[in-house]
Amino acid sequence: MNLVVLMRMVPDVVEELEIAPDGKSLDQEALRLIVSESDDHALEEALLLKERYGGRVTVVAPEAPEVADVLYTAAAKGADRVIQLRGVEPGLGVAAMAEACAAALSAIPDLLPADLVLTGAQSIEDLDGLVAPLVAHRLGWPYLGVVTAVSEVSNGTATVIKEFQAGYRGEFQVSLPAVLGVQAAEKPPRYVPVAKVRAAMKATRIEEFEAPQPVPEPLQDVTIVALAKPEATGRAEMLEGSVEEVAGKLCELLAERGLL
Amino acid sequence: MTDPAAGAFLGLPARAILWVLALIAFGLFGWRVAAYIRVLARARPEPRWDQWPARLKRFVLEVLFQRKLLEEPLIGAAHLLIFWAFVFYATSFFWNLLRGLLPFLPIPYADQAAWMAVALELFGAVGLVALVVAAARRYLFPPPRLEQTRDAGIILSLITIVLLSSLTGAGALVLAGEHHAGVGIASLFAGLLSGLGVSPEQGVQLNVAMWWVHMVTVLGFLVYIPYSKHLHLLASPFGVLFGSLKPPMPAASEGAARLEEFTWRQLFSGLACAECGRCDRACPALNSGYPLSPKELMHHVKEMIMASLASGGNGHRLLGDRVKPEAVWACMTCLACIQRCPVGNEHVPVLIELRRRLMADGEIEAHLQEALTNLARYGNSFGQSARNRARWTQGLDFKPKDARKEPVTWLWFTGDYAAYDPRLQPITRAAARLFQRAGLDFGILYEAEQNSGNDARRAGEEGLFETLMEKNLAAFAKARFERIVTTDPHSLHALKNEYQWQNGGVPVVHHTELLWELIRTNRLPLNKRLNGRVTYHDPCYLGRYNGVYEAPRQILRALGVELVEMPRHGSRSYCCGAGGGRIWMEDVPGIQERPAESRVREAAAVGAGTLVVACPKDWVMFQDARKTAGLEDKLVVKDIIELVEEATNP
Repeated sequence: MNLVVLMRMVPDVVEELEIAPDGKSLDQEALRLIVSESDDHALEEALLLKERYGGRVTVVAPEAPEVADVLYTAAAKGADRVIQLRGVEPGLGVAAMAEACAAALSAIPDLLPADLVLTGAQSIEDLDGLVAPLVAHRLGWPYLGVVTAVSEVSNGTATVIKEFQAGYRGEFQVSLPAVLGVQAAEKPPRYVPVAKVRAAMKATRIEEFEAPQPVPEPLQDVTIVALAKPEATGRAEMLEGSVEEVAGKLCELLAERGLL
Repeated sequence: MTDPAAGAFLGLPARAILWVLALIAFGLFGWRVAAYIRVLARARPEPRWDQWPARLKRFVLEVLFQRKLLEEPLIGAAHLLIFWAFVFYATSFFWNLLRGLLPFLPIPYADQAAWMAVALELFGAVGLVALVVAAARRYLFPPPRLEQTRDAGIILSLITIVLLSSLTGAGALVLAGEHHAGVGIASLFAGLLSGLGVSPEQGVQLNVAMWWVHMVTVLGFLVYIPYSKHLHLLASPFGVLFGSLKPPMPAASEGAARLEEFTWRQLFSGLACAECGRCDRACPALNSGYPLSPKELMHHVKEMIMASLASGGNGHRLLGDRVKPEAVWACMTCLACIQRCPVGNEHVPVLIELRRRLMADGEIEAHLQEALTNLARYGNSFGQSARNRARWTQGLDFKPKDARKEPVTWLWFTGDYAAYDPRLQPITRAAARLFQRAGLDFGILYEAEQNSGNDARRAGEEGLFETLMEKNLAAFAKARFERIVTTDPHSLHALKNEYQWQNGGVPVVHHTELLWELIRTNRLPLNKRLNGRVTYHDPCYLGRYNGVYEAPRQILRALGVELVEMPRHGSRSYCCGAGGGRIWMEDVPGIQERPAESRVREAAAVGAGTLVVACPKDWVMFQDARKTAGLEDKLVVKDIIELVEEATNP
């Protein structure tokens, strides 16, 4: 199988996020980026498919700080080819980013035709989960999102599992080539020891590819008006004292608020 | 004086028979030993040829004086006596053999030399008593985890025959009226023989017969040794001699699963093992019901070597059917097994090699994976921003110096737990106040400090250890300081013993060593005598790994509290269960009593109201354990820092 994984860097929310002076964007200086979690799952699913059916895994990632580490790590995990996409800046907006990536996929030599393009179903920058369907639209391929497993691939079709609420699962068949938005891989993304990543840094060449020009403009009909940091809400009040006292205070409070 | 090898037996010259028997025995012995050496030669190299004075000292203490065996005094004394009896009897055997094979040598037989006759009689007698003790222990009062094999019975019988035949022979000689310079034991046997109706004339023949029984038994013994568990007779002196002189850590490798992927020294442990079970009795993993037995581990190494001897070729695996991944992950790297082992075996390095292999294959426990991923990205196992590392300082009324910006005498390496765990931050602040109060010129690295990598390394993530070490060394290079103090024994070990410092590095001490120095020199005056009965838990990485046992005890005595020791203290301290990355892993099903629970019960049992610790991980583990063990009303857990602050408060 020829598998392509699209991976993107997103703000790491472990680090404190700062809002830029314009009040509409994140302060890129203060940001630290991390690979989007579901993209990591997309890579894992691709590696599992490669292990099962053979073939090649190619990872494509728009340029960003620390993206090289992500690509070397992917290579250490078993990706055969890693490509950094130049000219697609972070902050482009989801729609334009998807456009640019799709255009690049078609233009990168020896990449398509592929059987599957896998990417995360969502990211913290793309809660609507638009990237995967937009890429599919642009490529003219079928799309399935919120995928939790690819159970079988045969005769030009893939059987794909989606999980719904309350444990319901659906099995879908999609003709190949297709784009999958991966929610979670069948297994948690594998660990790759640092020594292997270091070896991959020596053995792997990250291909640089200039995104086809012109890079799409951010959409003009939807614009960001303002971003806000979480507001501190009222502090929790601890009720102290003996069990009887606490129970008494609790009853008073509930009565006071008309809940009793 | 008769030459026992001079006569004839069944018409064949006795000396010729002796030659044939000796050639067969030495041939079989040599063939087997050569086979072992060939297997070891297939393993990876590991240099153990340095520091000869230290090695010889250890050899004298642990082989000639059997220091570790004497930690269990009764059987230790018995073993020491059997060992020395063995040494003298082996000397006598080779001497007699040489004289018997080569009659032209101008020397007497061994027992014709007065000093040797005395030694043989003495060691023969005490050896027999020791054998009775050994047999009684083995068959009537066996300690837990002692391997009961047929081998042991055979060996005890063989040694008994060797000693008895020699003493009987000497007795027969006395009975025959030949001059014998003994100490009375031979005369005792002569009396016994006479009582049994042996005449003086028969005495001469009996002596020759006993000489042959003795020689043939020892020749049989010689063949038997390398084919049995008593290979340890042969291997253990070398095991001790080539043992690691410091807590062992295998050189960087891709790990090992198969025979030829281990180092020769790791394989050698399997050959030296006597299956005595001292490691098992000390192992916190095994005693809590984890699926790990250090003794079985050694046994599996030996099995792997035996399988290779039987079928030849490579590819004999340790990891898999013999040693399961669950066992590999169970180790807390507390070093108790190695510390207790009388033959110098190194169990932990074998497990670390296996962990490295599992790690390389991506077979790793989910929570450990999360912790390692966090360490790689954020430099701490908590998965918090590096920028938050010094957030604990916010509750102080002064700001510790930033060692990157101004020179300090002491660089304080806090370690992850002290810095990030909200339960421990008050203790970390207390340490800062103590240092401040003592007028110590100290600083911290703020967000530039990273986890030391000690536990990642022991979890088998060698590359991550190297990365963290490089980042810390780079941060050290940008700071100006003369010495390092750390509140974390795990960091202490890595910084002090395993970091590859350029220009020799700097002194690294644990905070208990520094606090004791400050108290002793009155820079930290004690204003209040504390009372109450406390006990102290030696952290593995402070005690067994770095030999710091006294400083914390000196502090406690100075504070005025009554210090009572738990049965397992000092180098016999019992791990809390957190080491080697275990603190990040989930408990496995089937755990009976967690190590930390066993430990808090032990503390409560000696009547201590306070369990004093000197390691942040211990504090966390024991706080949990006193709740799960139902000791909340009886026992409190305190870091020694808390007690010192209490006593120094104005």
